[in-house]
Amino acid sequence: MDLDKAKQTFIIEAQELLGAMEEALLTVEGQADQAEAVNAMFRAVHTIKGSAGLFGLDGIVHFSHTVESVMDRVRSHQLSLSSALVSLVLECHDHLSQMIADLQGGDPEPPASREVGQGLVNRLLPFLEGKGVEAGSAAPVVSRQTSKVPESEQGSWHISARFGADVLRNGMDPLSFIRFLGTLGTIIHMAPFVDGLPGGEAFDPETCYYGFELDLETDADRQTIEDVFEFVREDSRIRIIPPHSKVEEYIQLIRDLPEEERLLGETLVAGGSITAKDLEECLQRQKQESYEGGSVQGRLLGTILIEDQAVPPPVVAAALDKQKKFQERQAHELKVVKVQADKLDKLVDLVGELVIAGATAKVLAGQTRDDRMMESTAIINNLVEAIRDTALGLRMVQIGETFNRFRRIVRDVSKELGKSIDLEIHGAETELDKSIVEKLSDPLMHIVRNSIDHGIEPLEIRKARGKPDAGTLSLNASHESGSILIEVSDDGGGLNRSKILAKAMERGLISAGSAPSDQEVCNLIFEPGFSTADSVSNLSGRGVGMDVVRRNIDELRGNIEIETEEGLGTNIRIRLPLTLAIIDGFRVGVNHASYVVPLDMVIECLDLGPFLESEENHLINLRGEVLPFLRLREVFRINEEPPQRERVVVVQYGETRAGLVVDKLLGEFQAVIKPLGGLFRQIRGIGGSTILGSGEVALILDVPQLVQLATEQKHAPLKRLPALPVIG
Amino acid sequence: MAKTIMIIDDSASLRQVVAITLHEAGYEVQEAIDGRDAIAKLQGQKVHLMICDVNMPNMDGITFLKTVRTLPNYKFTPIIMLTTEAGEEKKKEGQAAGARAWVVKPFKPDQLLVAVSKLVLP
Repeated sequence: MDLDKAKQTFIIEAQELLGAMEEALLTVEGQADQAEAVNAMFRAVHTIKGSAGLFGLDGIVHFSHTVESVMDRVRSHQLSLSSALVSLVLECHDHLSQMIADLQGGDPEPPASREVGQGLVNRLLPFLEGKGVEAGSAAPVVSRQTSKVPESEQGSWHISARFGADVLRNGMDPLSFIRFLGTLGTIIHMAPFVDGLPGGEAFDPETCYYGFELDLETDADRQTIEDVFEFVREDSRIRIIPPHSKVEEYIQLIRDLPEEERLLGETLVAGGSITAKDLEECLQRQKQESYEGGSVQGRLLGTILIEDQAVPPPVVAAALDKQKKFQERQAHELKVVKVQADKLDKLVDLVGELVIAGATAKVLAGQTRDDRMMESTAIINNLVEAIRDTALGLRMVQIGETFNRFRRIVRDVSKELGKSIDLEIHGAETELDKSIVEKLSDPLMHIVRNSIDHGIEPLEIRKARGKPDAGTLSLNASHESGSILIEVSDDGGGLNRSKILAKAMERGLISAGSAPSDQEVCNLIFEPGFSTADSVSNLSGRGVGMDVVRRNIDELRGNIEIETEEGLGTNIRIRLPLTLAIIDGFRVGVNHASYVVPLDMVIECLDLGPFLESEENHLINLRGEVLPFLRLREVFRINEEPPQRERVVVVQYGETRAGLVVDKLLGEFQAVIKPLGGLFRQIRGIGGSTILGSGEVALILDVPQLVQLATEQKHAPLKRLPALPVIG
Repeated sequence: MAKTIMIIDDSASLRQVVAITLHEAGYEVQEAIDGRDAIAKLQGQKVHLMICDVNMPNMDGITFLKTVRTLPNYKFTPIIMLTTEAGEEKKKEGQAAGARAWVVKPFKPDQLLVAVSKLVLP
């Protein structure tokens, strides 16, 4: 069993008991009837002592035993509770609390604590004089103390019976029950209990004084054994202690119970540790005790069960642990509010409109040149920005859940293929817009299956290549300059360049004799209907796939690239925008129109002049680093004269940087992304549109495409993009 | 020597089933149709356990219980009362009279046999 968890339960229980003890100590003075308070103190130390013993916490056991002995003398009126004693016991309480705190801190008995404890014990001893320290716990006729219960033999049930006085008169013969127990199993040990037998005249031959302690070896369950005493239960005290081996079983049964809200007693009954009747009795006793004691509650149910019903404390601890776990889980669940997705979408929509309206107000306020007006709109705009971030945050979910689904898939698929594959997941906590996560699931699935099927080699080949038997597939997610990077990598065979080339030539995708770059070869697998698999398997290889994957990623405004080394493995990188709805943008002007660059991708802004390296090759020299640049004027074919002073916005996408040459820098701007109409979808370099505060439309630049274009034109003459319709 | 059990019930069929069950288990069985009949039949023999219905003509179970405890030979003899679940009132009355062993009707023969075994083995 998990002793640590039980120990946690013990710590919590002890803290509660100590709390009650302190309260009793602080209120006991001046009370007319001290019995209840004294009982509370006694019970606290008594219970702590009992449980501490189970965990082998001898220091706590020893210390609380002395305190308990003193409290017991107070309880039996052999000692009056003087104010000095109250102070001393308070100190003892503090020391016990400290010991529990030390235990919680992982250092059960620091030497300093032992000294304090010994000091307190020495001061307690005078209160025990004339009685002997060890005789501290009085021995009642019918013991209620757990410590008095004989240890049950390994593997056998211990039954302790004290028959009621009227048992004989009611026609019951204690012997008959012993005989019947004999039919359930083997009675391996039995001792009569006749301590209650009075001498001389007080003896009534018709009254039953008998009891017994008995060890029974049987396969019967608790209910069956308990049922033996069905007819005498009401009059007698019957305790049934399960064998040690059963304790483990009970704990396991309790752990295996379905998670649902149950009271402690219900849990124990459901786990078979006690019977419904036991529970009823204990609850009854608790009620009675609280009635007698006048307190709100008698002993805790767990305490009663342990002390009176001899339920093993670890079993109670396991049940309490179960109860606590459920409560914790429920508390956790309460922190999450489920909202219909369309409500969120509506909210994000409205926030989008709010952002636009806010921008309009800001422009208008600027035109009034009224400071107060401008200030208040600035505040509103700040708030709008905060609301926007929060609203967008609501849609963010961790990608972990999506990743975790692959555990099962990897397991199943690898089994089917007879490959052994370990799945590693990193960055599961990375957050991503929910709608992106949803659309990502299918393409990811495809890539993962490809990796398992084609990537990771069969065992023999892996052995021949000197790789570990088990292949590794890893899923990583991380943030990278305003986008999310998702990587699927495997340590498999990698892409086979010659095979892809041969296939591509066969299909006429490339001309014979051309020597495409590695990246270009990789990109070939995204062509529709492309497959190099020799055989079509259940999983992949039908040639439907990677092109669909790329289309899906494109739709998410993301991109996908492959890095592969033959024989070593493949790494597929997917970059996705953080969100689809609103972005922080940087507004630039070219001629009369405005364009928006996603701010996350902007590295810096500079004047073109001083940094120009080569006008012909479109290169700038950024402090020693040579970057390609692109004139938006040329890209969008604006034929008017450029201004004297041109500016460069340095952007980065993935690992590539490039400069975008514009006329004017217009500053930061929150852009609510509006999709482009179908007519404009084909245009590269433009990702969407947005509405400016003035009501004008600005186009949002598709930086990844522009960066790619800039990199390409380094080697090749500028490719012209299709002309854009003139806006405005 | 086999233990003797007396079944006291006004239903002949019930007495029969009980008698067969107990007999098969190794008990001697005596039958009585009500309390008065039982008191009469108890004279002059040793019965080790009685199974007694609560609702019977002439002398009901509770009265029988009280009466039988006044007989010196039967002061400590175990008695199993047969009761219906609805008879809470009767049950209380029975408890006051010292009844502790109950078997609720309807019962299966096995259930009765287990109850009997707890008190008297054959």
